[in-house]
Amino acid sequence: MGQANARPRRASARLLTDVARAVILTAVAVVVLAFFASGVLQLAIEVRAQENLALDTIFPSVSAVRGAWEAHRDRLLEEHIPETLWETLAGLAMATVLGVTIAALMDFSRVLRWLLYPLLVVSQTIPIFAIAILLILIFGFGSGPKITVVVLFCFFPVALNTFSGLQSADPELLSLLRAMGASARQVWTKARLPAAMPSFFAGLRIAATYSVVGAIFGEYITAQRGLGVFLKRSYSSFRLDQAYLAILLTAALSLLLVLLVNLVERLALRWYYTSRRASWRGPGIY
Amino acid sequence: MSAPAGTPCLEVRGISKTFRDGGQTVRALEDVSFAAWPGEFITIIGPSGSGKSTLFNVITGLAEPDAGEIVLACDVARDRAGRVGYMPQRDLLLPWRTVLNNVILGPELDGRSRREARRRARELLPLFGLDGFADAFPDALSGGMRQRAALLRTFLTDREVLLLDEPFGALDALTRRELQRWLLGVWERFRKTILFITHDVEEAVYLADRVLVFSARPGRIVKELRVDLPRPRQTISLLSEDLRRLEAELMIALEAASGGAR
Ligand SMILES: Nc1ncnc2c1ncn2[C@@H]1O[C@H](COP(=O)(O)OP(=O)(O)O)[C@@H](O)[C@H]1O
Ligand SMILES: [Mg+2]
Repeated sequence: MGQANARPRRASARLLTDVARAVILTAVAVVVLAFFASGVLQLAIEVRAQENLALDTIFPSVSAVRGAWEAHRDRLLEEHIPETLWETLAGLAMATVLGVTIAALMDFSRVLRWLLYPLLVVSQTIPIFAIAILLILIFGFGSGPKITVVVLFCFFPVALNTFSGLQSADPELLSLLRAMGASARQVWTKARLPAAMPSFFAGLRIAATYSVVGAIFGEYITAQRGLGVFLKRSYSSFRLDQAYLAILLTAALSLLLVLLVNLVERLALRWYYTSRRASWRGPGIY
Repeated sequence: MSAPAGTPCLEVRGISKTFRDGGQTVRALEDVSFAAWPGEFITIIGPSGSGKSTLFNVITGLAEPDAGEIVLACDVARDRAGRVGYMPQRDLLLPWRTVLNNVILGPELDGRSRREARRRARELLPLFGLDGFADAFPDALSGGMRQRAALLRTFLTDREVLLLDEPFGALDALTRRELQRWLLGVWERFRKTILFITHDVEEAVYLADRVLVFSARPGRIVKELRVDLPRPRQTISLLSEDLRRLEAELMIALEAASGGAR
């Protein structure tokens, strides 16, 4: 029946590629280990040099952090947190729309894929700090630049994951739909898009994790309100208890957002979780 | 069963198909011709790799033949997609749709009313052994149930000709027997024209009005066996003399057909 037909390569050529592979892998391993060792050494040296720093300033007590919360609760709840939350949600929503659109375009045409893919990667290599300052120079001190920073942080994982999800649709299923007379649009809406949803949510979860940090990053540069400004003011007045409070609040907001994404995912992908009920406990543990 | 009358609803004329895969060419089909008359049940049997699935791909328009043509309901069909009902080897149910929403895919793609399609589907669920599973997801179904759901989806396309590619190939012997009997009942009720690929000699004879035997690569029709057993056959004894004789005849043809490949 089906005969294997890999043309027999000459043994010497095969030996050469094997040796080359071994050399490359060894070199990579050596380089990684070398950097790892020098990094650890550097840290050790610097920690030893800091011996005389007062520990209780760096690690304020729980009661100090709670004191900071009591003192600033009203402003945090009425000004800073709502501002940060609004920037985060607006940015995340825009990143989702943008990411899905880019994924769809890349899925739609090979040319667009070729054009957009490098742009996507480059967009992640530009230091967002530089862009953020530029945005503030252009647009002023309002929420706009912060929302934009959130979008820059978040659209990439959504775009990339949704794209790979769109590409993952079972080719035999696509053939079946075509054989049943489906139009290209129907193939997309009835098979490719639903097949991409689990990946889309995986991307959205990563985006949600980054989004709050993105907003705070933007606010940190300059803003009138938001957790980022609160954090910045805390540092400039050397109030580390306040800084820890800001860090805790950031973590709590991020976690809440991720839980929200998980909840929506559970509701939207009921099929995905019922079918894997027995064997798989994925990220949707909540 | 009866002699062909009227015009055939599907004609396969001189189909040849060669795949070029890198430097290699695979001749999958060579000059395959036959016709199917309305209401006929034709089974196709042949060694694996003899181009049976490829023939279905050509009929559905998924692949273009190198030579020959497909005639559907008397006109040379160039744009054939969606003209026949097709059930591929894997059931390919959409995992994100409930059983009910899976089986109405055909009418939905045609742009027909979904509500009406659901109503009809609900009526047919008991006949297809899916009563109470309308809202279940495919992954919750057993192999036999998935197969029946895929069959219901194919029947609900409302096409005159249905192509079924080894629908029972992956099932255990008992379930398979049961489904064969059941399929005959469904077919008698709907009076469709069915082309049914199988690699099981008993199945081929038990179901068919006619059996087409394919040779090993390149696939050609090397024998056509008429099965003149009376219908309905649901109650026929598996040990019936006639059945055994036809199976033996088919087995001999099949062995000759796959001889080249062994
Ligand atoms: N898309 C394809 N490209 C290349 N070769 C193919 C393709 N589809 C089928 N073939 C080859 O054609 C032959 C017939 O395949 P198939 O029709 O699936 O056989 P069967 O269904 O009778 O087992 C096989 O040798 C298979 O490898
Ligand atoms: Mg096959």
